[in-house]
Amino acid sequence: MARDLKFLVKDLKDVTIRAARTTCVQIMNGLVEAGPGYSGEFSSAWYAVPKGDSPGGPRKASGLYKYDLRNVPATKFQTSGIWYTIVNGAPHADVAMDLTPYVYDPDRPDGKAVKPQTTGYRPANATRGQLTGSKGPNTSTAPKDWWPTYSVGGALSKDLARGFRTGFGKATGFS
Amino acid sequence: MNYQSIRAAYEVPIATACAALSPAVPVFFDNLAASTLTSTSEYVMVNITFGLTTEVALKADFDYVRGAIICRVHTPKGKGSARNQTIIAAITGAFQTLNATPRAAGAGVYARVNQIDGPTFDAPADLPHYIGRFSCGFIASVYT
Repeated sequence: MARDLKFLVKDLKDVTIRAARTTCVQIMNGLVEAGPGYSGEFSSAWYAVPKGDSPGGPRKASGLYKYDLRNVPATKFQTSGIWYTIVNGAPHADVAMDLTPYVYDPDRPDGKAVKPQTTGYRPANATRGQLTGSKGPNTSTAPKDWWPTYSVGGALSKDLARGFRTGFGKATGFS
Repeated sequence: MNYQSIRAAYEVPIATACAALSPAVPVFFDNLAASTLTSTSEYVMVNITFGLTTEVALKADFDYVRGAIICRVHTPKGKGSARNQTIIAAITGAFQTLNATPRAAGAGVYARVNQIDGPTFDAPADLPHYIGRFSCGFIASVYT
């Protein structure tokens, strides 16, 4: 059905916002899939925020988190000309992303990890994912350097493209 | 797919750049011996990871591979940041040279790096090192 041209700007803005939100959801779920999952707390702490803004904390403490559009409210995307970043607000995010050496967390919950674990020996000074050998007291639930591998190794751009295709594909008023 | 030749395309320039420093800096690539991590002297750790390695190309005579290079430069703590940054500059300089090198004719790896993220610096409380970290994506085309 034909749509009056006067709605064009509004329709374009609506579909662009929806595509941006869908892309954020796709990327955040991609990060959950690529990243570590012991308790699940880290997986629930991804936020899309204007650059420089602080993210919130973990949304839940157990199980892998599944993101949907409710995690990326449309109201947050109303302002034009803003850069958005996807950041993790978990207190141990730097360690989980292998950005700083591993530090033992005494508050880490006991129990079975929500993702399959590999075991090995983590030397002093090593990051979370740097396990050597196959037998040892230490565990890891994501490959070493999973974050740069996701962000610049191609998976991010693939999720970005998929998110935009999905978001624009649901556009109304353009048929 | 020849992963080893792709690794070599990036590891050789890094190793050469670090060897040319005075004094030369030991570089440890993936699957290194655990004992090196307990050292208190300076060293560089380089991890190369592969991301998308099966991208469809228009031609059949080459593979197109993407991944990430992560460098961690360890220098003694409490002695300033100059040496750490000198080592980082040597490695990033090697990347710039790599990017400026034209593709050789015939078979081989045509290696490029993308923008460099970092460096960031960290001096963990319980560890003997000051650590500079940077990473970048890479794109390698393997011509057969």
